[in-house]
Amino acid sequence: VTQYMLLIYEDERIYGPDKNGPGLEEIVAKHMVFNKELGSARIGGAGLKATSSATTIRKNKRAQTVHDGPFAETREQLGGYYLIDAPDLDAAIAIAKKVPMLRDGSVEIRPLLGGL
Amino acid sequence: MTDGILSRVARESSGRIVAALAMRFRDLDLAEDAFAGACEKAVTAWRLHGTPYDPPGWLYRVAERRALDALRRRKVRERSVSDPLLSGPQLFEPEASPTIIDEAGLIPDERLRLIFICCHPAVSVEARAALTLRLVCGLSTSDIAKAFLLGEVTLTQRLVRAKRKIADAGVPFEVPRPEDWPQRLDAVLSTLEVAYAKAHEDAAGAGAYAGYAIEILELTRVLAELAPQESEVLALAALVRYAEARRPARLDDYGAMVPLSEQDPAVWRPPLISEADSYFGRASAFGKIGPRLFQAALHRAWCKRKDLAEPPPWRDILQIYDLLLSQRDDPVVRLNRAVPLAEVVGISAALEELESLEEQFPSNFLPYHAVRADLLRRAGRPADAGDAYDAAIALDPAPAERMWLKRRRQSVLSDVAKQ
Repeated sequence: VTQYMLLIYEDERIYGPDKNGPGLEEIVAKHMVFNKELGSARIGGAGLKATSSATTIRKNKRAQTVHDGPFAETREQLGGYYLIDAPDLDAAIAIAKKVPMLRDGSVEIRPLLGGL
Repeated sequence: MTDGILSRVARESSGRIVAALAMRFRDLDLAEDAFAGACEKAVTAWRLHGTPYDPPGWLYRVAERRALDALRRRKVRERSVSDPLLSGPQLFEPEASPTIIDEAGLIPDERLRLIFICCHPAVSVEARAALTLRLVCGLSTSDIAKAFLLGEVTLTQRLVRAKRKIADAGVPFEVPRPEDWPQRLDAVLSTLEVAYAKAHEDAAGAGAYAGYAIEILELTRVLAELAPQESEVLALAALVRYAEARRPARLDDYGAMVPLSEQDPAVWRPPLISEADSYFGRASAFGKIGPRLFQAALHRAWCKRKDLAEPPPWRDILQIYDLLLSQRDDPVVRLNRAVPLAEVVGISAALEELESLEEQFPSNFLPYHAVRADLLRRAGRPADAGDAYDAAIALDPAPAERMWLKRRRQSVLSDVAKQ
């Protein structure tokens, strides 16, 4: 069994400013259902506040600087994650396909280092 | 003598052996290396003791032991020796002489699983066909690189990356689950189509890698054997056989392409056509028609022709395209349909159809210019045809097609001179 991280990318604007809009309630309800379905395959997971709340530390050479904003400006932003147990990639894909999303978006599947 | 047998056996049974090793150890690299090591060992051992009774079985057993040894060394390096796989008695067996490990028919056929792994959607599209040809067909990286017009280094890197992705991401060493089966099977078939297209394309040219069309025939045969209930699998097996049956007629004495309607059926290969007919019959029995069955039907219509004196089957071809169009209205299908349309309905109808398609193709789409040039030539517009031939030739066609296009262009230029 491998542990996989499912990284959920959506256009966060659909959840309103600061993720306070009506869309959030809707998606949270869906995630509750999905969590139940996952059962023991779920190791962890959470939704993230909007990228406006993000702070990024950048390190180059020896200097560490602190910046306002996410690591990268993109059309879809990391909005939440799941950490799951799955026997193989096909099983992880099957689970990732069921991750609820309000509209268009992506789920990136990444095995954990040393998860084997 | 022995070396000749070895290279033949290695070529013919490499897919089966590598597949069996890969499934046993769940490691593609280990399987490949172990098989290569066994072949190396066979060079001296077979010379010394003679060719074993069951050469593939010998290679499999030796490779299996090499893989176990490699795993043990790896484990020792990692200082964990608790793996039950490694505590079996085989590890401590002395090097058996070839006669002892001769046992026929012991290699399980795991090629289908291996094909599904190589064509997994998590593997980059560009790498799938190459990986399948390498692992399942045992083609050398240099041959694959040539067929894909890539440098050997680039191709090798691509294969390494693909194998690492399979290992790291945890691609299962299993056939897909039933719910994933249709999509995954389609990925496999598309991969084989890409691989065959390369072999087919090249056959019209120098023919240096035409050899691996044989591997595609074999792969489609294996796939049809393992998935006999899949219409599209059987259709692909039929399709490549119809196409291969016509290979001897595809080039003229000068190496120029011969269009289908001018190919002499007398030099086609009847055994391949009858094999194809039988696959086609089975594929059509399921009642649903997929895109590959349509393609096979087009080839089949041509292969029914017995003699150049017989009129070409344009009506049948047009009818099949009409059916295909009703299922998938796609500009490439429309372009191909324009050819029989010109024969059955008329050249102006076909030209009109082409005009309506012009904006749907990128300006460097060679088949569009080639079809248009031919229609303009026959419509009695040699000057326009000449321009269209120039446009097609500028797009760097394969040598055989280039020769044919140039010849046609020459003939319209002399028509222009007469006007």
